[in-house]
Amino acid sequence: MKLTTEDKLSLLAGSAKYDVSCSSSGSENNYKTGELGCAHTSGICHSFTSDGRCVSLLKVLLTNVCIYDCAYCINRVSNDTPRTAFTPRELADLTINFYKRNYIEGLFLSSGIIKNEDHTMSLLLQTLRILRHEYRFNGYIHVKLIPGASKELIEEATLLAHRVSSNIELPSSKSLALLAPDKTKEKLLSPLKHARDITLQRSAKPISMSTQMIIGATSESDFEILKLSSSLYEKALLKRVYYSAYIAVNNHKHLPVPELSKPPLLREHRLYQADWLLRFYGFSYDEILSENQNLDIQFDPKTFWALSNLHLFPIDVNHAPQEILVRIPGIGIRGALKILQARRFKKLCFEDLVNLKISLKKARYFIIAGKDFHRSSSLYTEKIKLALIHQGSNIIQPTLFDTSIYTGEL
Amino acid sequence: MILLYDGSFEGFLSLVYEVYYEKLQVNSIVKKMPETLLFERFHEIFTDEAKAGKVLDAITKHFTKEQQHTIFHIVLCDTRDYEMALLEYLRIGFKNKKELRNINNTNLFYIQNLEKELLCLVHKMYGFTRFEELEDGTLYAKIETKFNIVPFLGEHFCKRLGNIPFIIHDVKRALAFVKNNELREIRSIASFDAPIYSSEEEKFKALWKSFFKAAAVESRYNPKLQKSWVPLLYRTYMSEFMDDI
Repeated sequence: MKLTTEDKLSLLAGSAKYDVSCSSSGSENNYKTGELGCAHTSGICHSFTSDGRCVSLLKVLLTNVCIYDCAYCINRVSNDTPRTAFTPRELADLTINFYKRNYIEGLFLSSGIIKNEDHTMSLLLQTLRILRHEYRFNGYIHVKLIPGASKELIEEATLLAHRVSSNIELPSSKSLALLAPDKTKEKLLSPLKHARDITLQRSAKPISMSTQMIIGATSESDFEILKLSSSLYEKALLKRVYYSAYIAVNNHKHLPVPELSKPPLLREHRLYQADWLLRFYGFSYDEILSENQNLDIQFDPKTFWALSNLHLFPIDVNHAPQEILVRIPGIGIRGALKILQARRFKKLCFEDLVNLKISLKKARYFIIAGKDFHRSSSLYTEKIKLALIHQGSNIIQPTLFDTSIYTGEL
Repeated sequence: MILLYDGSFEGFLSLVYEVYYEKLQVNSIVKKMPETLLFERFHEIFTDEAKAGKVLDAITKHFTKEQQHTIFHIVLCDTRDYEMALLEYLRIGFKNKKELRNINNTNLFYIQNLEKELLCLVHKMYGFTRFEELEDGTLYAKIETKFNIVPFLGEHFCKRLGNIPFIIHDVKRALAFVKNNELREIRSIASFDAPIYSSEEEKFKALWKSFFKAAAVESRYNPKLQKSWVPLLYRTYMSEFMDDI
């Protein structure tokens, strides 16, 4: 049966949608006069799908043919689904036409493994070559490195793309062995290491890379997950880890039963919040959680941390430096900057904070502002907990990305 | 005293001139004559290029580049009553530049937030603007926005679209940014004929729609969240939402 471009697009976008990476931010402005396309440092969302996730890239697979048999994956070889493939030319033309109409910011290209690793990687690179060399396209391109592809191909990918990545898939080797028998941690990490080393030889900064792991398909605790993320950030292997609540697409004896399992969206949300604390708020993973612990469902990680460290509070907003201000529950980076700016002119009280549109809902239990501090509940964990719960605002609707699109994701 | 002016930037600058040199006590500033006037004195300002030019010179001398940008940005927020706050901003700036950073002052904080609101809108429209290809290859986009952001969009897409000619048409304000080869200008559009679209246009619209549909994960269905990211008022010209409006 011959499929139309539209059928192929539906099929191959449908197979790529479980990859949550969408951000195109953090790339240098690379504008060249007269050429098509330019990346935008903060990233731009071009639309939002009915699940509330942003669309900024044409996110597709080159093909959904795959020789691997990963239990959680819709494209595994043992699934009986219709298979198809784009030609590199077809995909490049689609990208250009979507870009011109401002549907997208660029291309996110992944693929099932067809024939073998190097063959697949070459097909991906051919698409990129058409875009970059023939169409002189400077828009954003993110390409998946195929685990096991040879070093030369990975090097070429780092030259053609803004960002490369390889999914770690699951938080431990044990889980990989169970669910993704064709993949090992070493095989998944090696393209990232190559890409880091190759780009470090060329410049002082490694190419920006991201990864994703599936949450809730296996038994790892949030502690183990955050520990892994934080070591990946430290080794400059990654700029960003995406957490993807497990969505049942297959039946498998080692997977949670699909009827019983809803995607653990709140857990995913809490992990993103905790990840944010790691990257922007100066927290370390072992401050947020202790061994084998999971993130609290009722309280966001910062509030939970504050409640367990009440001896550090209350904090005086008129004197604390920025890195301490951002540790106050309910006060973010922007709130802290507003406080720093405003307090140069006067001593701030609660009312001033309200006027600055800083929410005191959580913060008031943890701060002193001038003569104001919250007297009604003394600093006992349980009392503050109760007070916070009775506000009825403690369970936050899980959204996939809890951050503002304007701050830009890095 | 109520001041009446024509709503243009030059008009506003002329107003600033008169406030300074006539030492006017201003209670409010309006673009249109109010229907009932009770005991209030009101004074009409006539736009005067010479006066406006003098104020503009003073602004470029007294304010940093960044502050000048803020002033021009605020004027683009044309559906909001920004005049009193902006007048106050200028007054403070002429008197004591340092004080401009004092966000404890309601007017200054208002200006800061209004500018943020404008820049947020600009950022959203960088993504939500949709071009359609015309028969001759020109890209054409219609927009309807709260503030006048055509200048921002024009500059942004000049960078993006290489040598492709394009038009961004602000339907409500009857303005258009036109780019063709060396030509880049903002024109007022008095009347407009429906353009002829390229034969490929429908095909790519359909492809985009099917991509958009395929990219959603059913088990995470959350239209409320979608609506908070793309409120209905942005959807008018976004092809992927055309069917459900």
